[in-house]
Amino acid sequence: MLLVLIFVLIPSIPFLCIIAFKPVLRRLAVRNAQRRPRETMLVLLGSLLGTAIITGSFIVGDTLEASIRRSAYTQLGPVDEVVRTQSPEVAAGVERTVRALPAGTVDGTLRILSVEAAVATAGDNPKAEPTATLHEVDFAEAGRFGGDPAATGVTGATPAAGEAAIGADLARTLAVGRGDRVVINAYGSRSELTVVNELPRLGIAGLGAGFQGSESPNLFVAPGTIDRLRAEAPQAAAAASPPTSAVLVSNPGNVIDGAARTDEIKATLERALAGAPATVGPAKQDLLEAAKTNGDQFTELFSSIGFFSVLAGILLLVNIFVMLAQERKTELGMMRAVGLKRAGLVGSFATEGWLYALGASAVGTIAGLGVGRLVVLVAAGIFATGDFTIELRYQADPASVQQGFTIGFLISLVTVVVTSLWVSRLNVIRAIRDLPEPESHRQRLAATVFGALIALMGIALTLSGISGEEPFSVLGGPAFAGLGAVLVLRRWLPRRALVSLVSVGVLVWAVVVFEVFPKIFENTDIPIFVEQGIILTAAAVALVTQNQSAIGSLLRRLGGGSNMSLRLGLAYPLARRFRTGMILTMYALVVFTLTFITVLSHLFEGQIEEFTRKASGGFDIRMASNPANPVPVEEVRKTDGVDTVAEQAVVPGEWRSPAGDGEGGDGGYEGWPVAGYDQAFFSRGGPALSELDPAYPDEQAAYRAVLADPSLVIVGEFFLQEGGGGPPEEPLKPGAKLTVRDALSGRSRELTVAAVSEGGFTNEPALVARRTVDEIFGPLATTNTLLVSVAPGTDAQALAERLNGRFLANGADADSFRKTVGENLAQQTQFFRLMQGYLALGLVVGIAGLGVVMVRAVRERRRQIGVLRSLGFESGAVRKAFIAESAFVALEGVVIGCVLANLTAWRLVGSEAFGEDMAFGVPWVQLGLLVLGTFLASLLATAAPAQQASKIKPAVALRLAD
Amino acid sequence: MSVDTRLDHPETLRVEPLLQATGVTKTYRTGASSVQALRQVDLSVAAGELVAVMGPSGSGKTTLLNCLSGLDDIDAGTVLIGGESIHQMSDARRTRHRARAMGFVFQAFNLIPVFSAVENVELPLLLAGRPAKTARAAARETLERVGLGHRLDHRPAELSGGEQQRVTVARALAGRPLLVWADEPTGNLDTETAAAVMDLLRELNDDGLTLLLVTHDDEIGASAGRRVVVRDGEVVSDERQ
Repeated sequence: MLLVLIFVLIPSIPFLCIIAFKPVLRRLAVRNAQRRPRETMLVLLGSLLGTAIITGSFIVGDTLEASIRRSAYTQLGPVDEVVRTQSPEVAAGVERTVRALPAGTVDGTLRILSVEAAVATAGDNPKAEPTATLHEVDFAEAGRFGGDPAATGVTGATPAAGEAAIGADLARTLAVGRGDRVVINAYGSRSELTVVNELPRLGIAGLGAGFQGSESPNLFVAPGTIDRLRAEAPQAAAAASPPTSAVLVSNPGNVIDGAARTDEIKATLERALAGAPATVGPAKQDLLEAAKTNGDQFTELFSSIGFFSVLAGILLLVNIFVMLAQERKTELGMMRAVGLKRAGLVGSFATEGWLYALGASAVGTIAGLGVGRLVVLVAAGIFATGDFTIELRYQADPASVQQGFTIGFLISLVTVVVTSLWVSRLNVIRAIRDLPEPESHRQRLAATVFGALIALMGIALTLSGISGEEPFSVLGGPAFAGLGAVLVLRRWLPRRALVSLVSVGVLVWAVVVFEVFPKIFENTDIPIFVEQGIILTAAAVALVTQNQSAIGSLLRRLGGGSNMSLRLGLAYPLARRFRTGMILTMYALVVFTLTFITVLSHLFEGQIEEFTRKASGGFDIRMASNPANPVPVEEVRKTDGVDTVAEQAVVPGEWRSPAGDGEGGDGGYEGWPVAGYDQAFFSRGGPALSELDPAYPDEQAAYRAVLADPSLVIVGEFFLQEGGGGPPEEPLKPGAKLTVRDALSGRSRELTVAAVSEGGFTNEPALVARRTVDEIFGPLATTNTLLVSVAPGTDAQALAERLNGRFLANGADADSFRKTVGENLAQQTQFFRLMQGYLALGLVVGIAGLGVVMVRAVRERRRQIGVLRSLGFESGAVRKAFIAESAFVALEGVVIGCVLANLTAWRLVGSEAFGEDMAFGVPWVQLGLLVLGTFLASLLATAAPAQQASKIKPAVALRLAD
Repeated sequence: MSVDTRLDHPETLRVEPLLQATGVTKTYRTGASSVQALRQVDLSVAAGELVAVMGPSGSGKTTLLNCLSGLDDIDAGTVLIGGESIHQMSDARRTRHRARAMGFVFQAFNLIPVFSAVENVELPLLLAGRPAKTARAAARETLERVGLGHRLDHRPAELSGGEQQRVTVARALAGRPLLVWADEPTGNLDTETAAAVMDLLRELNDDGLTLLLVTHDDEIGASAGRRVVVRDGEVVSDERQ
């Protein structure tokens, strides 16, 4: 509320004073909105969308943050820290140590033993969950843990031998309930249990291994079950990784508040446990930080792409106010003549604008709730698929709603106040006589000085950007320099040639700059594309606007020199360059972004074969299995249809990079899987590498070198990505040093990056030699991942499914690379579609803007229409002229946006900054639909005003005018 | 021969009288109230006449001009121009008729601001179906005749009041209409410019142009060949001078 108070109420005080104490200004401000309700509605519609988009962006971020945060309740509950140990004995010692800490340090400890297992229903046609987790925990203690039994999710007695308590997610997957029988497979041993209890996904009962997705396929078993399975294990399974022994720790405070003390309590625990083979993980803190980071990233993403629409809304407001001023010029001049001061003029205009801003922001905020809900609805479907799922639940924080309203209001208010100041500069007599305002000597001089300053600033920005490798300045500096040059040189050079030359220069620069400075732009992020889009659009609109007469002549010749509707329809936009330029910019901005995303989406969609080739390294299937009961490799080799098998041991590593920002909650370490590979891994080429250390002539040499040298590593492009999304801030290069650590044993090793792979999956493990993994991770390093190539003529996905069925007990999870890549691309495509839908809101702004302009144009040109009708212009021709005008402006804007976007995408795809090796292609059908849809919607927006114009009776129009 | 065909040959419309208005009545209704702007007006105008229509403000002069020219509808009576009843025509035919047979000069000039002088003048010619080249040539010639041959490509905002009115006159004349309707053509002009415009109009009338002129100016009224006075919607006097 403080935000609203400071940034809404305080700036509104002058307007409230005008309404309360200045009846003349109040009347001037309010009457037009009252007398022309339809126009007022159109203005509000065009203005509210900006606020709707801003509010919607915040809500999307809130939803994602809240959905991830929800895991704090559902998958951790009272658990704030997880102390992982090597064995139950060590865990017991840890628990004793923690309990011995001064009272009030922590408010709960709980020992738990866990192992990954495959769980299936008993009987024929079993349903299975290959990657469930078995937990052993004392239910009585668990129920008391943290002092809030309701938060633990644990009820009932500890399962006895032969019994199990099943978590809700696993129960749903297996479609089992109380009394049903389930089969657990771990360490090659099998056991059948009866479900005696169902537990919700909450707290301990929903315990997840960090934030790995919204689901927790948990099964709680009797103490001793896991040890018995291990004891019964066949010899081969003895090599499998041990179960995880951990002590859960709860901080004083509730589920969320307790995390605030994590740093302090973690430090206390580490001091108390110094020397013990245990590692303290700040699980709750990491989850909440991930929630915030992901939420903020989403808000930034949607805000950035929505920014174009917000900008279109600002241009619409400026256009409307300039039109209002022009229409009322005579009466405003008379008002000044009879005693209204300029401040009063500004006040009445700005108050009218304040009313629009207030109304639009209020309605826009409500609309934003709807926009956010719609986006969440679509995004929920996207996040519900794939290996890493998030259950999205709509959340709109009051603070975000207030923020959206406030920002939308302020943007509108600043726009109308500045425009009001500008349009109120009129000479009384010239206003009364409706004569144009010439530019005074003082204004010319001011513009020249201003231009010189802008030009110098632009040059300084460019040079500093190049030396400091700052992409924003390098991209934008020349645009400012060009603008300044135009303002200075227009006194001496022909305007059209000058503006055209500078515009072309800025256009070329904005497109090729990525190639001229590839290093500066190699980590291009969304805001850079936003800046590029704005610069390109502004330059293109300036170029087109200055050469409109040539375009108009060409169109008139093509349409027939005597076509009066075309002649009239083109005359007004060609003459009113400022107004036309505003509408062109609105359309071009939004169409540019829409087209750009459409083209990128199309390019990615067509890359499934290429991405599969890069990710698979020549193999067809990736098969993961339970590390506690891995799939027997020889059995897989003997399977019909299998050609080659390569083995990998994938373990959860912890990494510290000197180039990173040390954000990892544990001494700068961050978690990332590491895979140890063998000779067979690159026998078929290996995954594509994007960068090699210069010492290696080719990819095979790099793979061989890493296999031979246990101090080398190959990392993926998204290695250590921040917060679960997006490339790392400082992507690693060959030669970079890293430290990898086994959290349990504490063993670590410094590694050097030999190459960077472009495998394509964002969670691709770092690659080291198998012996490197064995040496660092010891018993954890089991062959739990196989890469399989199939014999000629074998369907890879069908084989993968057969393998899953055959090795169900081993928790086999096999998929063809093509299917996995296809699913990832499909998810990406869906996301692009979501962004396109979001951007389409901006088109509504543009179309509404055109509608408003045409409605006002009918009013403005009433007398002229009367004159034309008196001269012989038929009513149908008047209608066609308006349609022609609207079609011309809309089509020009759409073409500008479309052409620029394709040009930008073409250059980007071919540049080093892009990183992917793609062939450019234009999605003709999709773009055709976009152009046609926009064009038709624009004509539709003009239909009513055009019809109204055609119905104007000449005598009435002339009489009213006179 | 239909009026449409005859409009291609305007000379066929030169019947006598050129304009014949009988019992013309016009009432304006606003909500519950109504105002009878014209009451049973009879008027005939022969080809080549210069008729000044005069009367106090609100007498119905402009309404009379609008109704006789077909810009506005009438509630009763007939108006024949060239022997054809213009109020029985469809809106489209009436519009075409205006384009080919009439010219208009307004007090407020009423030039199209986005067109240059020559584009404004050629407009009625293009509307009448003349080819673009012919229309442009005729427009140039007419503008030169009114003394604006050096201002062809200037927009109205770049012209003085007198120049704008001369463009309006040129626009009215370019298509060689049968009738020119002028509503206070000198109302917005200084004395010298007004005199120059009126000299031009008289000159054109001497060449055979039929001109109906609404004016407050007694001098202009006195110089016309015929003076019609309108008061409270009725013609109260009709004198040839």
